[in-house]
Amino acid sequence: MIAAAGLGKSYGDQRVLGDLDFHIEAGERVALLGLNGAGKTTLFRCLLALTDFEGELRVAGDTVTPGRKEVRRKIGYVPQQAPLYDMTLTEFVAFFSALRGVAMDGPASTLAALGMPLEETGAKALNELSGGMVQKALLGLALGSGSSVLLLDEPTANLDPGARRDLFRRVREIAAETTLLFASHRLDEIELLADRVLVLHGGGLAFDGTLEELWRATDAAPRLWLSAPAHEVERVVAELRECPVVSDLRANGAGVEVDVRGDASLDVLLEVRQRGLPVTEFRTRPPSLEHVLDRLEGHGDASPVDGGGG
Amino acid sequence: MTARLLAQAGVRESVRAYWFWLNAGIFVAGGLLLMLFGQVDVSLLGYRSYGRALAGLMQLALFVVPLMALLSSGAAIAGARETGALDYLLAQPVTREEVFAGKWLGVTAAVAASLVVGYGATGAVAAVKGVPALPIAMLLLFTVVLAAAFVSIGLWVSALASTRGRATSVVFTLWLAFLALGSLGLMAAFVRWGLPVGVLQVWSLVNPVEAFRLAMIALLEADPGLLGPAGAALLGDLGRVGLIAAASGSLVAWTALAYWAGRRAFASAT
Repeated sequence: MIAAAGLGKSYGDQRVLGDLDFHIEAGERVALLGLNGAGKTTLFRCLLALTDFEGELRVAGDTVTPGRKEVRRKIGYVPQQAPLYDMTLTEFVAFFSALRGVAMDGPASTLAALGMPLEETGAKALNELSGGMVQKALLGLALGSGSSVLLLDEPTANLDPGARRDLFRRVREIAAETTLLFASHRLDEIELLADRVLVLHGGGLAFDGTLEELWRATDAAPRLWLSAPAHEVERVVAELRECPVVSDLRANGAGVEVDVRGDASLDVLLEVRQRGLPVTEFRTRPPSLEHVLDRLEGHGDASPVDGGGG
Repeated sequence: MTARLLAQAGVRESVRAYWFWLNAGIFVAGGLLLMLFGQVDVSLLGYRSYGRALAGLMQLALFVVPLMALLSSGAAIAGARETGALDYLLAQPVTREEVFAGKWLGVTAAVAASLVVGYGATGAVAAVKGVPALPIAMLLLFTVVLAAAFVSIGLWVSALASTRGRATSVVFTLWLAFLALGSLGLMAAFVRWGLPVGVLQVWSLVNPVEAFRLAMIALLEADPGLLGPAGAALLGDLGRVGLIAAASGSLVAWTALAYWAGRRAFASAT
């Protein structure tokens, strides 16, 4: 469905993407992970034929030719920044449906499925809608206009946590048959959606595999957050430092964040119980992206790490 | 088809913008005032005051229309780029050439519509007074061509500018430059540096504001004294029809060349 062979892109002397090779099957949900500036948006611009590039790219059976618009009929796109148009939602949907050459019914019914029926929200100006609603409208437009590939470029970057969860829930529900490639630098989002992860780092593909394979390849276990009363935090830190499964600790007035060796989160909790530590609440947190990328750099000596995925 | 859709969206957006109604309002007010002040003369001198009203409207158009066209077109691409609207639009099945064409059509149509509203009021008063409608129709037509030339120039700037603010400052400077290098500026240069008449003649035709002024004065058969030294020399050399054709050709050339340059700049931006 999406295939890149020797894909490269430079802006002047700056190499942004270098010799990427990957293949995404129809219906796969793939996360594109990387820090800001890693080349995620540039890769999307290549896929959308918005910029010239080296190598070969195919999307939904079409060869991507820079500047040619045909491939964009097959791609739905939701950008990081919600675009500002001086239109009502109905005008917006009508305009972009016409531009994509589809009847308005498709996007309208998708929007209704997303909880935004045009009968209720269509008269509102786009700039009166919340960021989450605009992103949902873009998602509805992308899905309802028959796109077989959906590109999400950090669509939740400017959303509050509630709107973020809601948007991802909608994507999970609706995009079952659609090939999904979404950029993010949040590991918690990736856990929610992705079958597979591509990590872009330093312009190259640093990893291609499942999330579990990524954790294994980088020795990155989830972190534990333990809440404790402020006056007990020091004691919790001191006691946990003695646990062999704890590799590192960071504390603030509200609790302690614990880096756990391997798969030993339950061992830490058992230690907490056995030592009678005054922990009031615990949560797991995904590893930090910086940690993952550091490990990938260390593992691969800048050459791509293959986790075994397509 | 795509360019038409983009143009329609552009017109809808423009009709909601303040400048559209400001432009229309200026011409409604200006036209009506000029017609009413000419009432006394009408009874005595027939259509002469109508000619004055048209000449007044032409002077108004010289200042206002280029500015409106430049400001609205200058913001059209650079502004959309800033708000993310352009990136989203370009991710749809449209080419950059279609987007540029759509922007040009949309802004030009919107400026033309505001002029129709503005001149329409003058035309309605003229109809009531029983004077011919052709001169005001010609004035409207040429003003739309003038607007089209400046829309092309503004879009060219907009395609090259990185921000809306920068585009606005450049088009404002261009507007001042075109006005300053009009008849008064030319005359000053003529006196100060003793420029040959040929240079002044060419410049009068190259400057779109001057070209419009010369074409309208020749077309409305207004006082040749209003043409200025370069215009009068051109009238002598080319004749009335030749002057109108040359000045019209200049406006059309500005429209086409600036459009071509702007489209090229926009299409090559990757």
